[in-house]
Amino acid sequence: MTTVYRVLFMVLLIALWQIASMNVGRNLIPSPLATFHTGTAMLADGRLVGALGASLSIYLTGLFLAIVIAIPLGIVMGGIRLLGKTLEVYVYALSATPRVAFIPLIIALLGLGFEAKITVVLLGAIMPILINTYAGVLAVDTQLIEMARSVGLSRTGIFVRIVLPGSVPFIIVGLRLGATIGLINTVVAELYTAVTGLGGLLAIYGNSFRMEEYFVVVLTLAMIGVVVTETLRLLESRLSGWKTAG
Amino acid sequence: MSSAAPAPVASAAPPDRGRQRIVLENVFKSFERAGQKTQVLADISLSADDGTFISLLGPSGCGKTTLLRLADGLIAPDSGRIAVSGHPPRPGPETGFVFQSFRLIPWATVSANIEFALLPTGLGRAERRERARRYMDLVGLTRFADSYPGELSGGMGQRVALARALIPEPKILLMDEPFAALDAQTRELMQTELMRLWSRLGSVVLFVTHSVDEAIALSDKIVLMGPRPGRILEVIDVGLPRPRQLFEMRSEPRFIELRDYLWNRIRTLVLTDPASDFYGRDLEPE
Repeated sequence: MTTVYRVLFMVLLIALWQIASMNVGRNLIPSPLATFHTGTAMLADGRLVGALGASLSIYLTGLFLAIVIAIPLGIVMGGIRLLGKTLEVYVYALSATPRVAFIPLIIALLGLGFEAKITVVLLGAIMPILINTYAGVLAVDTQLIEMARSVGLSRTGIFVRIVLPGSVPFIIVGLRLGATIGLINTVVAELYTAVTGLGGLLAIYGNSFRMEEYFVVVLTLAMIGVVVTETLRLLESRLSGWKTAG
Repeated sequence: MSSAAPAPVASAAPPDRGRQRIVLENVFKSFERAGQKTQVLADISLSADDGTFISLLGPSGCGKTTLLRLADGLIAPDSGRIAVSGHPPRPGPETGFVFQSFRLIPWATVSANIEFALLPTGLGRAERRERARRYMDLVGLTRFADSYPGELSGGMGQRVALARALIPEPKILLMDEPFAALDAQTRELMQTELMRLWSRLGSVVLFVTHSVDEAIALSDKIVLMGPRPGRILEVIDVGLPRPRQLFEMRSEPRFIELRDYLWNRIRTLVLTDPASDFYGRDLEPE
């Protein structure tokens, strides 16, 4: 049923788009059909695929690094209270600072290439994952811990069997936020450093008023967002099926 | 108010019931919260023999739960001696603990929750599975092996918790108001169920309850406790024969006699406890 409503809403959006394309002057908004034709042409000549590949490699590398750093760090910060209390202020401070502020420094240190770009993505994605993992470990049910102690489980056993699984729902929320911010930062990185990938195409087509191509790129980015968040939602429902069961 | 419990009609539990499994001698325990020290238990001496069912009865604030946690080894006393099977207590498979709020792992199935108590035993996976199956059968939950705790009713949830406490076949069963969260019918059925399981197991049970009826119906001995600081006022032999029919037993003279006596003592305790909501009130009907 939801699918039907979703499709109907998409029809509505496309209709609005069509109306807008006919009423906004100077060809600033291309029609849906023209955009579609341009899209298939860009796919066919390889422009879109090349840019998509470049963007995805930056995005996924940065996101992967963020995950492998943030989850263990969040777990250690939550598991060792003194360490967590020491570091948390700095983590919150860093997460409140706009990451774009670091771009000049990153460029100065790492240049304009791949390393600089994945660093921008990493910096954006790491904070929500870290903060949520940390919160998840701290939010563990102390009654369950006492139960596990009473059963005779060791400290390590309690950590592995109770604390970690209990923080999975938090970690997934962090992953979803991190994945979204990581995608935003991918485009930001491509606009501010060497102009490549989908972000690069946005700049080129936007600055030269090639609005059909520009729209194709925007829609491609939106589709990446949908694919990533839906994948994570699937993961979430598999890992926390017990919550919705019954 | 008489200060001595009425003598039991039947003779007290036979002396050869078993050896002293749990011994507490002059145990004191206090907690500190916000710089203020509260004496929770004062001078507790108590022993429990194998195969006996002992209830800890008393109003709120008399440290009954703390006493169970001490006996499990979850916390240590400030002073005094505690011995379980001759050693200082240590949490583990020798002692089963049933909590009031069940404390089931929400992301684990019924089967995995019950098996959980076998993890520190070093039993192999297959053997753990097999035993979990047996205990699920024992508490009538085989059909729900793959269900999650969120899908169970309160009575079923507490049966899972009971099976989890029993599965390591502990020498000691500690139960902290296990049926308080259940409705009256479920509670009665669970009491019968517990009697059935306990008679097979023969372990010593320390059972914390607020309910006078529950304490009399289930126990060999009732330890009456008073509040602030928690202390033992009296140990009463129930002296009702076993096996017991929990429902019919309520009209027996001994049951009624004990109930009147215990109710009067608890009422006095509550009315004279400055921290109680009913302190100093005259509860006699006009």
